[in-house]
Amino acid sequence: MSVQASEERQLAVTRRRAQLGTLLGLTLLGLLAILWIALAFSTNSFWTYNNISNLLRQGAMTAILAIGETFVIITAGIDLSVGAVVGFTSVIIAWLLTHDFPIWAAILITLGIGLIIGAFHGFGITKLGLPPFIMTLATLTALRGIGLLITNGATISITNTDFTGFSRGDLLGVPNLFWMVLVVAVPSYIFLHHSRYGRYLFAIGSNTEAARLSGVNTVRMIYIAYILSALCAAFVGILLAARIGIGNATQAEGWELQAIASSVIGGTSLFGAVGSVHGPLLGSFILTTINNGANLLNVNSFWQRVITGGLIIVIVYFDGLRRRKR
Amino acid sequence: MLLGLRNCCIRRSNNHKAEAQQLLSLKSEVSMDPAEHGGDGNKAGAATTAAPQLVLKQLDKRFGATHALKAVDLSFERGEIHAVVGENGAGKSTLIKLLTGVYPRTSGEVFWEGKPVALATPHEAIDLGINAVHQEVVLCPHLTVAANLFLGDEKIRFGLLQHGAMVRAGQKILDDIGFRLPAGALLSSLTIGQQQLVATARASTRGTRFLIFDEPTAYLTRQEATQLFALIRRLKANHVTIVYISHRMEEVFQLADRVSVLRDGQLVATQKVSETNEKALITLMINRAIEQVHYKESIPFGKEILRTENLSGKGFQDVSIRVREGEVIGLYGLIGAGRSEFVQSLFGRFPKTGGQIFWNGKPVEIRKEKDAISLGIALVPESRRDQGLCLNLGVGLNLNLPIYHRLTTASVINPVAESAAADRQIRNVQIKTASRDALASSLSGGNQQKIVVGKWLNHGAKLFIFDEPTTGVDVGTKAEIYKLFAQLLKDKAGIILISSYLPEVYDLSDSLHVFRRGRLVATHDSAHVSEKALHETILTEAMGA
Repeated sequence: MSVQASEERQLAVTRRRAQLGTLLGLTLLGLLAILWIALAFSTNSFWTYNNISNLLRQGAMTAILAIGETFVIITAGIDLSVGAVVGFTSVIIAWLLTHDFPIWAAILITLGIGLIIGAFHGFGITKLGLPPFIMTLATLTALRGIGLLITNGATISITNTDFTGFSRGDLLGVPNLFWMVLVVAVPSYIFLHHSRYGRYLFAIGSNTEAARLSGVNTVRMIYIAYILSALCAAFVGILLAARIGIGNATQAEGWELQAIASSVIGGTSLFGAVGSVHGPLLGSFILTTINNGANLLNVNSFWQRVITGGLIIVIVYFDGLRRRKR
Repeated sequence: MLLGLRNCCIRRSNNHKAEAQQLLSLKSEVSMDPAEHGGDGNKAGAATTAAPQLVLKQLDKRFGATHALKAVDLSFERGEIHAVVGENGAGKSTLIKLLTGVYPRTSGEVFWEGKPVALATPHEAIDLGINAVHQEVVLCPHLTVAANLFLGDEKIRFGLLQHGAMVRAGQKILDDIGFRLPAGALLSSLTIGQQQLVATARASTRGTRFLIFDEPTAYLTRQEATQLFALIRRLKANHVTIVYISHRMEEVFQLADRVSVLRDGQLVATQKVSETNEKALITLMINRAIEQVHYKESIPFGKEILRTENLSGKGFQDVSIRVREGEVIGLYGLIGAGRSEFVQSLFGRFPKTGGQIFWNGKPVEIRKEKDAISLGIALVPESRRDQGLCLNLGVGLNLNLPIYHRLTTASVINPVAESAAADRQIRNVQIKTASRDALASSLSGGNQQKIVVGKWLNHGAKLFIFDEPTTGVDVGTKAEIYKLFAQLLKDKAGIILISSYLPEVYDLSDSLHVFRRGRLVATHDSAHVSEKALHETILTEAMGA
């Protein structure tokens, strides 16, 4: 009897924990649905093919950044440089394309540079012992500077129409850029939730020392987290360059905050060890929808920043409340 | 609100001065002559008649479905030392939190000096003079000892802090209560035990009339504990009511006037200490006789696992020990005697500077923790929270952390293998958990320790180093940890046990090594000496008297 009781209790706990993740996911999905329905009724232009594809294109870039950022935040770190990496890599790919590199080579080189930036973050954090906040704040400002030095402050226009055309194209009616989210999200999901490295990231975020003593190569895992974040940012840099047809180091200003906000709205804990891939995805599309809707409703764009800030406080507060009640 | 705070500060500062004077008037005599204090007590007893300091009537606390305290009737006399004992989860912490106003009670009444009080907020409790010294130090490590003593009650002139005056006054307070601590030092430069004493000094000099100690000696050395006991007796002489919560029975009998036993949220008994004994109390606490630990007798030693020859390193010199399969060697010594440094060096934290380590009879070099881990050395650290566990992750993940590489195909985890491995280890070391997904933080201290051990077993560990394994755990959990030892030994592991609690080292070890000032000064075979004879010898050896 007592065995039965304890098994029931066990099931109840497992179920409750499973529910917790699902509940947040459903809440966010519900919020997104409400926003879309409300906007569909209150504006004529929201529920049009053009606007929806535009929203998916814009949201795609925040989403990819947010997924990368999530790997870092799960280790209880932070990557402030992602916006700067986007701007910087947009310059790199634009420069490469204007110097007649083939598209595939330009993309690979740009991603390679993202990898090097991420590895540099890992080096600063693990070998030089700098706090992640400082390390990535430093590269944030430095990368913008290097990007401006390369172009001497000018903008590089991309004339390669094969490259820029990609961002306007679609597959099965869905914008190519949105497909790119899936290209990033599916492997990320497998990596985070179904590979041992994902488990290690969570363990490091929870207690680095315990993870290290359990034989986890914590230094390597921190390198991996920051490399993944910078790779995602470099990828977004490529997509952005394709979308707007230029390379400019001042682009994507403040996107790191959008990425962090999306991740946090999606249930990632800034204290580490809590997070998912679907959370930041939903979080980024919620933020994008709010901005898009505000534009359509002719809300002063300055208010959008205020709304985003308010939303972060409300969602994280309710999430914290729910966790504590448990 | 702000005004209220300010008033409270002023009131407290007045109280504080009065209290400091009271303490001063007691002078700093170290002698604890009971007659002298009895005299003091009588004088006060005449002035204020025998109304109990604090009375609890039908005190009840529920957390949702959990009934944490069930209709507790208890009275605390003025100037008595009242011990409260019980297993973990018996309701002791809930009681502390109700008394200090951290949680509101569900029902029942509380009377302070005969008057009903709400005790709804920590503020109210402090204003009445109820204070607590918690098991973990809740102070600011980056401030000086004096700044911590005066925190919230700083000495200010013309709106500026009087640092010098506070250090001098702080030093006086510390000297007067007999704590040998530097008031000007940063708190973080002190040991945990010394920090605990600072917390105690702070709590006892703030107009406190009622002071609760929660496991105060867990991190103290013997000398520090002696200083603490002297202070407690002094406070008692000063008519402060003391509630003393401890798992260490001999302290209860050494200090307390009366003892109350809690079990499953109910008050089982309140007795004069002189009218009961250790065995009777333990029986009341657990309502079952404690099983004797029988493993030493039956396990023959196997092959040698580890041997050190004249090992030297930071903080210890020339240490030679040997551990065989099925053997427990106990390391005893005061804090700073070098035993922790010695095992840290075995575990690769600090490199050795001389001597040799042999593993399975072959000389080995242990330069990094990785070397130690891959040989099969496991460290079960004292602070499980800091080094042992990922507390906000699941039990299963914690257990599997060292072996994920075996549970994957091309790095992708096989969920069936993952669950099976977790469940197998949960059964193997008998972890009491709701499920493998339950968070490690939701488990009791003893079960958390089992997760750490289970994790190392997964790693294939052969030699377990336990650093103070029973700090702050209750009698039942202790018995479980002892059982775990027995099981490890049966599976041919060796154990190095570090403990500041001599009866424990004695009970559990096959041989006992005494450290003093970085050297191994004596080795005893516990099977051949009586506990009492050994006790005195060892204490003399450890303290170098």
